[in-house]
Amino acid sequence: MFYREAGQFKTSYKADQAIFPILQDRVGLGLIIVLALLVPLFGSDFLINSFMIPFLIFALASIGLNILTGYCGQLSLGTGAFMGVGAYSCYKLATIFPEVNILVHILLSGFFAAGIGCIFGLPSLRIKGLYLAITTLAAQFFLEWCFIRIPWLYNYNDSGAIEVPTRTLLGTPITGPSSTPSVRYYVILALIIFLAWIASNLIRGRIGRSWMMIRDMDIAAELMGIKPLNAKLSAFAVSSYFCGVAGALMVFMWLGAAEVESFSINVSFQVLFMVIIGGMGSLIGCFLGAAFIFGLPIFVRALPDQIGVAINASTVDHISRMVIGALIIFFLIVEPHGFARLWQIVKEKLRNWPFPYG
Amino acid sequence: MNSSSVNAQSGGDAKVAPGEELLSVANVTLRFGGVTAIQDISFDILKGEVRAIIGPNGAGKTSMLNVINGFYHPQEGTIRFRGETRTKMKPYEAAASGIARTFQNVALFTGMSTLDNIMSGRSLKMHQNFLTQMFYYGPARDEEIAHRRRVEEIIDFLEIPHIRRQPVGKLPYGLQKRVELGRALALEPDLLLLDEPMAGMNLEEKEDMSRFIIDVNQQFGTTIALIEHDMGVVMDLADRVVVLDYGKKIADGEPGEVQADQGVIDAYLGVPH
Repeated sequence: MFYREAGQFKTSYKADQAIFPILQDRVGLGLIIVLALLVPLFGSDFLINSFMIPFLIFALASIGLNILTGYCGQLSLGTGAFMGVGAYSCYKLATIFPEVNILVHILLSGFFAAGIGCIFGLPSLRIKGLYLAITTLAAQFFLEWCFIRIPWLYNYNDSGAIEVPTRTLLGTPITGPSSTPSVRYYVILALIIFLAWIASNLIRGRIGRSWMMIRDMDIAAELMGIKPLNAKLSAFAVSSYFCGVAGALMVFMWLGAAEVESFSINVSFQVLFMVIIGGMGSLIGCFLGAAFIFGLPIFVRALPDQIGVAINASTVDHISRMVIGALIIFFLIVEPHGFARLWQIVKEKLRNWPFPYG
Repeated sequence: MNSSSVNAQSGGDAKVAPGEELLSVANVTLRFGGVTAIQDISFDILKGEVRAIIGPNGAGKTSMLNVINGFYHPQEGTIRFRGETRTKMKPYEAAASGIARTFQNVALFTGMSTLDNIMSGRSLKMHQNFLTQMFYYGPARDEEIAHRRRVEEIIDFLEIPHIRRQPVGKLPYGLQKRVELGRALALEPDLLLLDEPMAGMNLEEKEDMSRFIIDVNQQFGTTIALIEHDMGVVMDLADRVVVLDYGKKIADGEPGEVQADQGVIDAYLGVPH
């Protein structure tokens, strides 16, 4: 009843092709952005630092993986490593060219990840499905090895870790220990909105369609004139770019320092779960999935304290793991297509409400 | 959609006048290991005609189409399309040169809407680069909208505007076949290969599909190669018919001649031993 496109007539294809053709969607998005902007005014630093910032960063990594897996149908387990490539190349750029703004470095570092992603995407021309996942696993292990064995990458640091130098934007520190969470949050939010917009533009255009064609029916895609090489490698490149930028943001604007463990296979799996839970082939799903996988443990751990039950920390941790595992299974049984599909169903229902059928 | 714009936009440079040879297949032999799927077949397709390829199951009809659009590379023989003899050609090169097709078992992009499926047929005609598409900036948006307009014309032509936004995976079979035809038409091909466009349809759907095929052929001047098992449809639609049996050509000619051919009757009905 409240969510209707009735009465909203499109008189041009331009209006019809807009990202959010329905007025309510535009209003809703505007509200979400305003709320997101208001978070630092009302939320604690804890909320920002341990939920909002990592949530946005992982949402970006999920967009990256979703482009590859959800839109182009190429399963990858190398997300963590591609994030690592972004982080290490950003670190190298920031130390070699300290005078250039760090945001430029962060955006550039994605290109290194894209290049590496393309190289490890080459097997996808011959291998499909689970077998491809295994070759991307090779990328994961090989790159992890590089991050340990090539000391040049971490500037021959004794600890083997990369430590983020303080960098400023318009005189305000945005990275390093002296930057405040709110400032970092705003920078990340701006970048994520920008990059998500670019992702949605690519997806609705020719390039995005060529990815989906390869995903749905590669033989027919070739007959429509799509070269599998171009489509698959461009998906690998764009996907790795997003993952690389997410990795650079993760180290520079969240962790502050990182070593190879920050980019382990666990990260790859975590991002993959976000994509699966959120919904393959959906950008909104990336945000929902990241919020769920990242936010649920925080919520579950904070719950006993909130309701005044005293349990020791390790028990809480164990219980939260069990609860999260069970919830993931529950959601996948109820809706195998993830939150994005649930959201779609809710929209359908809202459209017809209060009637059962439209 | 008028035929002149169709021709002007299609891939190649050499114009072929109606009634002249568009495609010729000469002495093509295709083997899979020890199995000979196609043996020494030659025929031609003239510009503007509806050419049917018929034959009992396993005669090599679909293999023939796969050879024409580059999925299979024959061991012997040559294929000449628009006057150019081609050697090993990839399916996307065939598409670029102006050959489109539909499949016996519908091969739509099931996760995409009808609109996107037909838009996907326009991929070859869209040239905006990555940068403009990334920002959906001026030229990229204009291009998208220009092609959307053409796609809407195809949607109107096939009478499927009501399913524009629906994911094609959920559509009934008859409509899926129609969307697939639309996707092939979006390429504005010179040669349209239809692999059993009416398989599994009821009478009404067959009549609709026949009407669309005739309209495509006559309005847009598209040359059509058609595989079909419904003899009534073949005899009504086709200008000329090639009959295959066990990978060999057993007859070639106008529907009436082929129908009266003793070899064809034997192939379909069997010969007393």
